[in-house]
Parts: sequence; structure tokens; C-alpha cells
Amino acid sequence: MKRWFGAFCVLLFLSSLTFAQGGVKKTRPPPRYYGKVVIHNYSVQSRLAPVGFDHWLHRAKFTCRLCHVDLGFAMSANATDIKAADNMNGDYCGACHNGKSNHDGKKIFPACAQQPVAAEQQKTCERCHSEGKGITPSEDFSAFVATFPKKRFGNGIDWIEGESMGLLKLVDSLDGVNSKNKLFKNPGDSIITPQVKGMPDIIFSHDKHGVWNGCELCHPEVFPSVEKGKAAVYSMNEIFEGKYCGACHGKVAFPMVECQRCHAKPVASN
Amino acid sequence: MINIQLVNRLKLLAITVLMALTPLSFAAEFWDLPPQVPPEQYGNILINRLSEKNSVKPAMFSHWLHRRKYTCRVCHFELEFNMKANTTEITEAANRKGQFCGTSGCHDGVKTFGHTDVADCKKCHNGDTNYSKARFAALAKLPKADHGNKIDWGMALNRGLMVPKKYLTLKPDTQVTFKETLLLESEWMGIPPAIFSHTPHVWQLDCSNCHPDLFNVKKKTTQHFTMVANLQGEFCGVCHMNVAFPMADCKRCHPAMQ
Repeated sequence: MKRWFGAFCVLLFLSSLTFAQGGVKKTRPPPRYYGKVVIHNYSVQSRLAPVGFDHWLHRAKFTCRLCHVDLGFAMSANATDIKAADNMNGDYCGACHNGKSNHDGKKIFPACAQQPVAAEQQKTCERCHSEGKGITPSEDFSAFVATFPKKRFGNGIDWIEGESMGLLKLVDSLDGVNSKNKLFKNPGDSIITPQVKGMPDIIFSHDKHGVWNGCELCHPEVFPSVEKGKAAVYSMNEIFEGKYCGACHGKVAFPMVECQRCHAKPVASN
Repeated sequence: MINIQLVNRLKLLAITVLMALTPLSFAAEFWDLPPQVPPEQYGNILINRLSEKNSVKPAMFSHWLHRRKYTCRVCHFELEFNMKANTTEITEAANRKGQFCGTSGCHDGVKTFGHTDVADCKKCHNGDTNYSKARFAALAKLPKADHGNKIDWGMALNRGLMVPKKYLTLKPDTQVTFKETLLLESEWMGIPPAIFSHTPHVWQLDCSNCHPDLFNVKKKTTQHFTMVANLQGEFCGVCHMNVAFPMADCKRCHPAMQ
């Protein structure tokens, strides 16, 4: 009985702590780490360092759609449950990292191999299983961003502008796994009026999003409402919690600190 | 016999519940205000993330020296200085490259002293929160307050006695006309509500300086946002402890307080 009492006491104390919303500032990652995802579903059990996945390195070469639609990567870290066997089978990372595919005339290194891994292969494992190992990446972030138009937040560069300038040549399909059969047709910009008075309207550009995402990355899962005339309410609280726009913005796409990048239209009346 | 046991258990339950509620409602250190510092040292912070490890003295940053010329937004939004000392990855190399302190238009060697002349090092790397004392006299003409720097910065702004720059390259959104004044009811009997006005805050800050990290934008969720949390440096306490007027100045937020 006393033990239960003790447990109850600890539980009550903890719950009162967790209910309290913290009012502290989150620390922003430096530009090179913005969009970095640490994947550790099975790494630790396999005595490997967790995978440090850099979004910037991959989005410089491929569209978001390719990985998150065609290859089936989930939109939050560790939700995909990737196993070494999947990669060896040509799924997920292994769709490109198979030791055979090329990108830009260079062979892409293979992901995962049968155990036991030979000593000379160890180095290849560490190219992804790098978290906490202080490994110098094969491509240098600052050299990559040097030619890009600058933006203050996120990766510190304007991806959209860079893409339209032709600095990126995004691969949008892979042989054998492509689900994209129709060209993206721009349905036009949407203007969304906020519920809070005094906030400028949001200008949503389908055009800018379509280049990277096609239709199916967002519809119908992230934004279920595609019915015309049916108003959907996307609250900022939900967005901050990672729903809707927050599925990408704040994690990989530019963060939500720069309000006016979305809240861009002049307020009509006060 | 049973009754005594029951009474004991009830006592224990009461103590447990009280203990559990402690972090929400009250704490022993409730009025434990941070120690007062001389007005010329209020807001002067030492940055020592790498300095002493690299055998130089910590950098002393004086908020009052800088806030005369720039709004909070310039450094804490545009230049991405975090709100807590030693959490921003400031390095000499980054400064020389034109980031953080070394941003063009700041300590770039043109606008003001930069990072190349050795004689300038000690202007920041002096490890002395009293280093800027001699220059405090220049603020003598600004309106007075009772706490902090003993200067009413808000009044100084209103009267146009100082005109800090609002941005370097990223213009604030002039379209945001959010002006709401919030009335925050106190949890304690007899304590008048705090009045929060967005206007003076918007003058200095960007929306994202406070939202959603410090204050979420949900309605009616301020019940956890207690004085204790403020005094521990959360919520209002992020600024109103070290830089903006300190919480010893009760009446400026709780205007009806006796």
C-alpha cells in the first residue's frame, strides 16, 4: 500500500510539472544543421552510430516528392522504421544508395551490407551512421551555399530563388519507382485570410510548392481539403505543432520565424 | 486503530497533493527576486562560451550601450542572437566573416571597431561588467525609473529622446497592425491583474521573438504562466530580469498594485 502511495505521489508531482508549458526560448540550429534528422530506429541495437541525415545535401539534388512520395519516407524522423534489409532490398535509402546508381556522373555509395561488414567497408557505413562521430562530410555546406542567394533563416539560403535561377537540377524520378505520370498543373495562388484581426493575409503559391512537391506530397494527407468552396481552418497553433504547413516549415523548409514570408498581403482594412 | 491509520493516510494524501501542486501555485522562493546590480551594470553580460578556453578574457556585452542605437529585434531576430548568454555559436571566425557582432554595419571595422586591430580586443574581451561605466553618464538626460538601469526606456522612446534603428537589412513588417492589450488575471487574491500591451513590445521585437516559444498563441492558456516561472527566467522573465525593467518594478505590469 505504501509503495502505491509513493508511486502516486511521484506521479502527481511529475504530472504537475509536465502540464506546465515552458516559457523558454528554443535554440535555433546553425544553418548547416537546419533540416538535419537523426535516425536511430535500429542503429544502436546494431552497434552503429545513429544516421545523421542532412536534408540540404539531398534537396540540392532531388525533389522532396521523390523521397517522400515515391520512396515512401514518412514526414517525421524515425517514423519510417527503416531496416538495413530494406536498404539492401533497394527500398528507402537503398533505392539510390545501391552502389550502382549514378548521380551527376558519380557512382552513389551503397547503403548497408550483410553482416559481418569487412573492415574496408566500415568507412562506407560511417558516411551515414555518423552521428556523434565527428566525421567530415564528403560535401562541404559552406562551399555549397557560397553561390546561392542569401536568406537569413533556416539554411541561410533562398532555395526557391536558387532553384528558379537554375542553380539546382532536381531529379524528380527514378527508374522503376516513379509514381509521377502527370505534369504538375498550377492551380493558382491561394489567398488565405487569418482569423486574427491585424494579421496580413497569407499568399500561398502553388507554383513554388509544386516544383518540389508535386500534388501528392500535400494532398490529401497533409492538406485534406481539396474541395472547392469548402473552407478549411488551419490554426497557427496546429501549424506550430507540426501540422499542415508545419509538416515542412520549421523543420526543413524555411522556418516560421519570418512571419511576412507567408503573411505577405497588405491588410485591407483595420 | 483503523481510524488512526485512515487519518494518517489522509494526512499523507493531503501532503502529497500539496507537494504535487507546488510548482504550479506557489513556492518557497516566491519573492526571491534576483539581486539588484548597480544601474550601470544592469544588462551587462559576460559571454564566455569559448573565450577563457582560448586564453582570452570573456567578452562583456552591454545591453544599454546597444539598445540606444538598435532595437532588440536587430540582434535577436535579424542577427540570430539567442536570448540566453553563451548559447549562440559566436566565434571570432564568424565575426570576421560578417556574422553576429561582425555584421556589416556593426563591428565590421568600418562603422565601428572591428576584429582586426589587436588594440580593439579588450574593448569587448575585458571580463569586466563595469567596463562601460564611464559611458553611462551619457544617458543622464533620459527619463528616470526606479529599477534596472534606472532609466525609463519606454518613455525615452516615446519622447523621441533616442531613435534606435529597427533593422539592418530585414525590414519589419509594417503591415502587422496587431495592437491587442491583454488583461492577465492574477492567481492570487488581492493581486491586481497584469496589463500587457503589444504596442511597446512590437516596437522593439519581431512576432517570432516571443511567439510561439515563449508565449504560445493559444487563447486562455496563461494559467501556467505564473510569477514563479517568470522569476525563474521563463516567459516575461526572459527579458524582464536582465535587460528590460526588472520585476521588482511590480507596478509597471500590475498598475493597480498598492
